[in-house]
Amino acid sequence: MTETAQEQHVELEVGYASGKSIPRKEDGRLVQGQGVFADDVKRHGMGYVHFVRAPYAHARIVSVDVSAAEALDGVYGTLTPDEVAELTDPFFELTTPPGSQIKDYALAVGRVRHIGEPVVAVVAETRERARDAADLVEVEYEPLDVIVDARRAQDGGAPVLHEGAGTNVVWSGRFDWGDIDGALKAADRVVRIKELHFDRFSSTPLECSAALVEYDRGTGQFTLHCNHQMPGVAAIWMGPALRVPLDRLRFVTQDIGGAFGNKITTHTYLTACCLLARKLKRPIQWTEWRTDQHTANAHGNERWFHDIEVAVQNDGTMLGFKVAALDDCGAFPRYEPLGCIIWAQVTPGLYRWRNIRVDFTQVVTNKSPVAPNRGYSRMQQLWLTERICDIVAAELGLDPVEVRKRNYIRSEELPYETPNGCVYDSGDYARCLDIALELIDYDAARARQKEADGKLIGIGIGSTLDSGTNNFGQSTLLNPELQFSGNNEVATIKLDIFGEIVLTLGTVPQGQGHETTASQVAADILGVSPDQIHVRPGHDSYWNSHAGFSGTYASQFAVTGLEAVKGAAEKLSLEIRRLAGGVLGGADPDDVILEGGFAKRKDNPEAALPFMACGAIINANNAAIPPELRDITLNCRYVYVPPFELPDKERKFGNLTLTYATQIHACVVEIDPETGEVEIADYAAVDDCGTRINPQIVEGQVHGATVHAIGAALYETFAYDEYGQLLTSNFYDYHVPHALDLPRIKTGHIESPSPFSSLGTKGMGEGGGAAIHAICSAIQDALRTAGSPAVVNDSFNPPERVWRMLQAPEETAALVEVTTQ
Amino acid sequence: MSDHTIAVSVNGERYEREVEARKLLVHFIRDDLDLTGTHVGCDTGNCGACTVLLDGTAVKSCMLLAPQADGAEITTVEGLAGDDGELTPLQRAFHEHHGLQCGYCTPGMLLSATYLLSHTPQPSEEEIRRAIQGNICRCTGYVNIVKAVQAASGGLSPVTET
Amino acid sequence: MLLRELDYARPDSVDEAVKLLAAREDARALAGGQSLVNVMKTRVAAPELVVDLNRIDALRGISSNGGALEIGAMTTYAAIVDSPEVAAARPILAEVARTIADVQVRNRGTIGGNICSSDPTNHFPPLLAALGAELVIRSADGERTVSTDEFFEGVFATAVHPGELLTAVRIPAKGDARDGWASATLGRDGTGIVSVAATVSAGNARIAIGCVAATPVIVTASADETAVEDAVGAAGLDPPSDVHASADYRRHLAAVLAARAVRDAS
Repeated sequence: MTETAQEQHVELEVGYASGKSIPRKEDGRLVQGQGVFADDVKRHGMGYVHFVRAPYAHARIVSVDVSAAEALDGVYGTLTPDEVAELTDPFFELTTPPGSQIKDYALAVGRVRHIGEPVVAVVAETRERARDAADLVEVEYEPLDVIVDARRAQDGGAPVLHEGAGTNVVWSGRFDWGDIDGALKAADRVVRIKELHFDRFSSTPLECSAALVEYDRGTGQFTLHCNHQMPGVAAIWMGPALRVPLDRLRFVTQDIGGAFGNKITTHTYLTACCLLARKLKRPIQWTEWRTDQHTANAHGNERWFHDIEVAVQNDGTMLGFKVAALDDCGAFPRYEPLGCIIWAQVTPGLYRWRNIRVDFTQVVTNKSPVAPNRGYSRMQQLWLTERICDIVAAELGLDPVEVRKRNYIRSEELPYETPNGCVYDSGDYARCLDIALELIDYDAARARQKEADGKLIGIGIGSTLDSGTNNFGQSTLLNPELQFSGNNEVATIKLDIFGEIVLTLGTVPQGQGHETTASQVAADILGVSPDQIHVRPGHDSYWNSHAGFSGTYASQFAVTGLEAVKGAAEKLSLEIRRLAGGVLGGADPDDVILEGGFAKRKDNPEAALPFMACGAIINANNAAIPPELRDITLNCRYVYVPPFELPDKERKFGNLTLTYATQIHACVVEIDPETGEVEIADYAAVDDCGTRINPQIVEGQVHGATVHAIGAALYETFAYDEYGQLLTSNFYDYHVPHALDLPRIKTGHIESPSPFSSLGTKGMGEGGGAAIHAICSAIQDALRTAGSPAVVNDSFNPPERVWRMLQAPEETAALVEVTTQ
Repeated sequence: MSDHTIAVSVNGERYEREVEARKLLVHFIRDDLDLTGTHVGCDTGNCGACTVLLDGTAVKSCMLLAPQADGAEITTVEGLAGDDGELTPLQRAFHEHHGLQCGYCTPGMLLSATYLLSHTPQPSEEEIRRAIQGNICRCTGYVNIVKAVQAASGGLSPVTET
Repeated sequence: MLLRELDYARPDSVDEAVKLLAAREDARALAGGQSLVNVMKTRVAAPELVVDLNRIDALRGISSNGGALEIGAMTTYAAIVDSPEVAAARPILAEVARTIADVQVRNRGTIGGNICSSDPTNHFPPLLAALGAELVIRSADGERTVSTDEFFEGVFATAVHPGELLTAVRIPAKGDARDGWASATLGRDGTGIVSVAATVSAGNARIAIGCVAATPVIVTASADETAVEDAVGAAGLDPPSDVHASADYRRHLAAVLAARAVRDAS
């Protein structure tokens, strides 16, 4: 294993680009400040928009007066809730009645439901002037009672956020697989855990949301230069709301400064910008500031787990568990309730338990809405399964490593069908754990733990699966009426007049290096070097190289994106070989090979047609092409459709994702018992995402996912007070780990190619929140080794919480009870 | 309220502009001079994406008013590579060691690292981490950024430990 | 990020600066700007006139006289970190300055700005209080010198009143004293949750605790860790609760860190 897979100055043999850590194509522009991010786009006469935002978490809007703002010099105009209610329809809701009666608009209509919700938009000639004018907008509010704690959202007398729905419940349902009642009866012991809490945070991309929106009055066309990461879905929301056909919404992105799921639900703002561009007859520039992003864009899902019961044998074998999960999606569902099913992709975590019951409920609260944050919904479930493992180990006095190894699904059992019908494709979890433990020198760490003086030392493990390539049919397990299933992605590749190879993706990259890895795959198929493949940066829906599920989300590019590239490149290869075969004396395409920019006859490599000639013949000199070759365009579009079936709605059963990458992390922490501060002394992340096209890029994703999770475990929280005021609304209070906060992360890997993708790749990058699990596990280990009965019951463990666990261990110890049967 | 005529030299080019006194230097650079490589990632001076060199010293351009830069020499990311487009050793090292993903923090990160190497040509890992502490990166976990700075300072052999 | 309209002046001399500050009621001196500009971005602070002190050379610099230091109010943290005079006379100033925020902030932020903003989470208020520093304040009427006790009046409030300007910080010679520092922060070298500075001389500790009240809290005790913890426990601290720490936890940290600061000084 390597600590770091660094290969500099890779000399590439043509045809063998895949698998090499070649430096990225994207970097040249980015290291010179020549990237084009959404906020860099300018147009003549554009107006800057500033949103007037809700100062209350819940209030009725009594009146809105924009007259003083409109009278200010340099102000171009405003948009009010009344206009929005008249000019648009509410955005489409995914859930079932009565939750589907929730009405979500571009601006707050009638009521505000969370701090920072946009109420009025003001446009002016400068950013500063728009802000000045926003200060002059008068909105009168009548404050209403507030729901901050999801556990109170269903109480009698609790304020109901959405009057049309009549309830705060967005979705609720039971998932029941195997026989948990029987398992609990048969088990040697039952471990009961009253309550666990997965905290609210987000990956907070460094670039906030932004857009430059133009409206063409002649054609009715909107062009949105923006950083939305899933434009196809944005269009599905926005088209009907704006009452325009989808093609009237052209989405253009080039460079995106990180997204991590947080840029999937910006359609509300983009819709307001569209209305303003049309109303004010000028381009509208929107910059979201950091405080706006924190208060009123998207957080990760907060989740409570109640009344967990785990069936355990004396030797640590776990038979199953049941739990009531309560998810808090903030004020509006938007992408939700999909989080109510996404977790089921990894229902049993990495374990063999066959009996699982989950009663899942999602509610709205007066907090920021959520969006699919990196590790979306699975990370919460995986945290639960890892907490269960560690709590069981601690309560039964077993070694957490042994408990995991005893219960992990074994490599020889893969592909493995989980109790709910997901098919884990390949891997070797125990081997990954061994590598991780070796990287942190587990035995030495255990020895050090015994000798430790002063600091408490803990060793922790986080085992996760990064499920990738969604079967969108899982949405029908929530709402049988939804017409989604399967998945798709597109790539288009052409050979141009002068022999240039141009590759267009359907994806919307945000730093994942798609231009590079796509060029590696295409280069190998076309027998050229990746330098010779021009991959268009970014996404433009006018390129027509996208499909309904196109985008960059849910750990899938290495499968959906690259399979599309492979399919398109193979089509182009066949066309070149057919054309060359015809030109070079009637050879069969199978007898023509592509090498070094030439199509050559196998039997006579001297008979070779340069790509430039191929491009010229088809595009500019085609009168002499024989009829049987006239279908050749050298412009090949391929739509990859993964092999999915419709899930069984009744049993909530079926394969929900195509590939399952493994991440096993191990760490050593040192706790200062006087202050509760946790320091990471050693950290190792072991990854198995099948075949790696560019190991360096994979490793970069592993680093990033690890650090997001370290931040979530120790530093980052979206905390609200009882009035629904966000207490961490900027990077001053929401502490994102910087270079001094972090350890040097060691990495290791194995490659278990997926049998379900032709490249053997698996989607990766989200990482399943492994570091949250590992750090919670290590804190638990440190506490138990120090003789404390405290239980780590929260995913977020700042110094005070750890100190509190040490001071008053009975508070959390009381959450767990073990009965012997 | 006052407008000010200010003259600055940015990447060796002299600009004279009238600005509102309240305008932040970062907005002057981005909006008035059209040098959009300098980024904004927060509104509290924490993230460092707007870092520039002001008379050779690394500063966050969101925490200065534009008129404060009057008479100063400023270097932004656009001014790092040579006129012929040749990358600096740091820029090259970021590329070779995968020291960037989305590229949004990269301009500020490069300027902080450039500033470090200008006074500490052979920094230790701790010195590198301290030098970029004021620059938030949300993609890389800083692992490869540290490595890139080490490499640019000659402190990292091409083949790392295995 | 978008400030209210304002006037901007950039005087070359202290006299001119004092004149400008006295002439308009809503005038604010702009030092390093690493706090003030941030507050202006939120429009919580919106001075009509900003008097930029950055071109007044007389306000910068560090001089040592028999071990006593005089530090110009506009001296940056970076200059303090690098100063041979500080290293020789009172190195704790550099050790603490090195942990303020980050490189870019240290390049602009000043010791005068740090204490004039009187943010309870700032580093220099407790440190200067422990060291027994004196602050030199100029106005049109002349110059006066105040102790840190007199200087810190409340959160964001100091003895530098409208029309006045802090010009220098005077640190007494160290003599046989030893200085220490301990803090709990949000992330490494981050915002203070509790900070404690201690000066130990002849077996007695003068301890200044930051982040537990509007201004630094002074506790004296014999320089023994148990005695220090007891003294802090008996000080009746009533710290604020916020998202980073409850009052109870801050009270506990104050005692733990006071003992550590005294240990650091030993």
